[in-house]
Amino acid sequence: MTTTPSDVIHDIGYRHYDGPRLGRAYARRSLYAQSLRGAYGLGRSAKSKVMPMILFAVMCAPAAIIVAVAIGTSMTKLPIEYTRYAIIMQTVISLFLAAQAPQSVSLDLRFKVTPLYFSRPIERIDYVAAKYAALATALFILTAVPVTILYIGSLLAKFDFGDATSGFAKALVAELLLSLLYAGLGLLIAALTPRRGFGVAGIIALFTLSFGAVSSVQAVASVQGSESAIAWLGLFSPITLIDGVQTWWLGASSSYVDNAGPSSAFAGCVFLLVLLAVIGGTFGLLMSRYRKVGLS
Amino acid sequence: MACATNVKSVTVIATEGLTKRYPRVTALDRLTVDVKPGVTGLVGANGAGKSTLIKLLLGLSSATEGGARVLGLDVATDGAQIRARVGYMPEHDCLPPDVSATEFVVHMARMSGMPATAARERTADTLRHVGLYEERYRPIGGYSTGMKQRVKLAQALVHDPQLVLLDEPTNGLDPVGRDEMLGLIRRVHTDFGISVLVTSHLLGELERTSDHIVVIDGGRLLRADSTSDFTQATASLAVEVTDSEQQLLEKLTAAGLTAHADGRLLLVDIADDDSYDTVRDAVAELGVGLVRMEQRRHRIAEIFRGEGAGHDNHTV
Amino acid sequence: MTTLSIDHVSRWFGNVVAVNDITMTIGPGVTGLLGPNGAGKSTLINMMGGFLAPSTGSVTLDGAVIWRNEQVYRQIGIVPEREAMYDFLTAREFVIANAELHGLANPGEAARKALATVEMEYAQDRKVATYSKGMRQRVKMASALVHEPDVLLLDEPFNGMDPRQRLQLMDLLRQMGADGRTVLFSSHILEEVEQLASHIEVVVAGRHAASGDFRKIRRLMTDRPHRYLVRSSDDRALASALIADASTAGIELDWQEKALRIQAIDFGGFTELLPRVAREHGIRLYTVSPSDESLESVFSYLVTA
Repeated sequence: MTTTPSDVIHDIGYRHYDGPRLGRAYARRSLYAQSLRGAYGLGRSAKSKVMPMILFAVMCAPAAIIVAVAIGTSMTKLPIEYTRYAIIMQTVISLFLAAQAPQSVSLDLRFKVTPLYFSRPIERIDYVAAKYAALATALFILTAVPVTILYIGSLLAKFDFGDATSGFAKALVAELLLSLLYAGLGLLIAALTPRRGFGVAGIIALFTLSFGAVSSVQAVASVQGSESAIAWLGLFSPITLIDGVQTWWLGASSSYVDNAGPSSAFAGCVFLLVLLAVIGGTFGLLMSRYRKVGLS
Repeated sequence: MACATNVKSVTVIATEGLTKRYPRVTALDRLTVDVKPGVTGLVGANGAGKSTLIKLLLGLSSATEGGARVLGLDVATDGAQIRARVGYMPEHDCLPPDVSATEFVVHMARMSGMPATAARERTADTLRHVGLYEERYRPIGGYSTGMKQRVKLAQALVHDPQLVLLDEPTNGLDPVGRDEMLGLIRRVHTDFGISVLVTSHLLGELERTSDHIVVIDGGRLLRADSTSDFTQATASLAVEVTDSEQQLLEKLTAAGLTAHADGRLLLVDIADDDSYDTVRDAVAELGVGLVRMEQRRHRIAEIFRGEGAGHDNHTV
Repeated sequence: MTTLSIDHVSRWFGNVVAVNDITMTIGPGVTGLLGPNGAGKSTLINMMGGFLAPSTGSVTLDGAVIWRNEQVYRQIGIVPEREAMYDFLTAREFVIANAELHGLANPGEAARKALATVEMEYAQDRKVATYSKGMRQRVKMASALVHEPDVLLLDEPFNGMDPRQRLQLMDLLRQMGADGRTVLFSSHILEEVEQLASHIEVVVAGRHAASGDFRKIRRLMTDRPHRYLVRSSDDRALASALIADASTAGIELDWQEKALRIQAIDFGGFTELLPRVAREHGIRLYTVSPSDESLESVFSYLVTA
């Protein structure tokens, strides 16, 4: 027997929510995921995908070419060290940072979305940590994928497994440190101004000018024959700082003039401490920057 | 059913001697007030007092002296819990232009702790309740002011708060938009069962939408009462006729009523119920038209008269 | 007495016609210039103040063209909407500077009087940067008043003011209107205009939509029945007595409000009928309230015309 459905008006009025309310960790993860996707233009307009995707391709292309050439010309090992790749490609990394760090935080500041975040059950550190981690992850992906290509190429070309693996691992560690350092500096500069253009310019200025200055003075020091000066000068630009740390602690060959990386345990420690201090310092400054923003 | 009230405590916001001092100005000065469930209008000085109060209530700032409780929770220690149960709609623009309303509100819902599916469903529902339909899929940058205000309201409601703080929600809207927003605000309480604290400097709007009014001046509480107390009927009848006001005045005086002219109106003291008939008959006898006969009500604005001048000589 | 005449004025910016063939006269007293955002109010005020020339038509003060006419500028004070001021000056310095620009004989005294009028004497020696919004507005007004103009033009003067500041400014403008000055202020907040202006000019999308007392304008809107709310001692009896007459088109018993809602198509006839019929039937009237005579209702009608 079929029952005829009775006539009814359904109540589609406001419903209350009695379900679970997940805590800060969940909110952090959500912001992290959204910011990470945003760094590659995912979930945003097509226009915002162009820059990051092109830079990603430019970053990976040399790796693919190197692998192809190495296999094609029957080399016995990769023509460059894994740890060198990021140093060589540092301009591309800086450009990516300059494009995407402001994307991450300047928009929120410019359009004053930050008060809406802080009116939610999160604390300042959740916002800063999520943004920081997301950009660092984006940079890590940017730098790790190319060396992974190199590694896979090495395996396919049957280069020495131990060498390749240890080189790959060292590069990953160095790139992790690089990602953290760059993310901190980039976000700090970008968060200082709601104008995206200034953030971009500021980041480019910092990275290229510092590198340019350090290299020039290192060249002068080289002419003067002052090897230790060359090493110490490396503290003053982000990429050379990373280079110094990986030279001493990971046994990478130095990119400095005359191969004159930090040559003593003392120098090595200083380099590492400076690196950690800058990372910690930028995070701390970001935190205090956002204290002011609050609910204004 | 949608009308169930969701307020667990009798007092929604309670401040006790709440004081906030900055180097150059005292934003709040020993403010003690109880806000009951319903729609409460907050009137007062621009700038410092209002935004400071909101920051304090959300646990984002700490008081110099005194304290406050929101939904029974202490603002000094339970800030995050308060923010989980409270929605905030800022006065200023706060929406990113390159994402759609749906995306934005879903993201905000998740930031308030809603799991993904719930966030999506509640976003869809909330956008419908505030009156955004196909527009919700387009980037916010192309929205009109009215639509943007609705998005702002939606992100404040999506996590089903028990209380929403609306800061000048009709800012920038034209008269029709204002009406719609005021109606929506009323619905938030009557249909959704959520208490509302709304700030405005337009007293007429507050008289229409609020159940209670809190007036703050120079950081101090001037008066807090129900709207009906503020707008109590006076014992005075306003009469407006199409013609012959002077003759009407004379007739009424002759009949024993006290009356005087005020612009177009005649204000008649109501002695007793017979006064109404006296007026009616006088008008009918004169053969003129009766346009208006209303008991005069007090207005909120009256509270600002007769107060000392120079209240805004603080540096904000 | 000073009268501003706007005669068949249009003003365009490229293809955008901000003001479209407007004719109006602004006389002594307080007039409200009303219209939605972007209706052309600021453009009109700027033309009246001599900041813009009309593309066609003429804007004159007592017959003299305003544009580039320095003599006429002496009689006009304008308080623009923009907030930008020289923050590093004090109020007194700023107003004195304005007085000097006008070439007044005694700038210090004129400034003192102007500041006294706006009740800013107590703060006149502090820098403008320290002022609240309301205080800045009053300084702007003082500088517009320092040469004692007969005409005062204010563009959205109440923007963002809190209730106390607004009341003070309204009192000031009312006083100036009562003194015989011609005061024109623009607003899109009906509540403010309702309280202050005896006479309104409504501008919608560059066109002049209406002029006069808004209640009288309402009476002119004959294609819209007047709505009334009536409470009496016997609503049903009153309803049946009223509907018998041709002046009412509809009567509703609002059982929630315990009142009658009446649509009257003949305003004059209905208002005379009501007390008469009530008296005949011995019904006491408690409330007779026109429910759509508000400026808002008039305004929404004009905007959609």
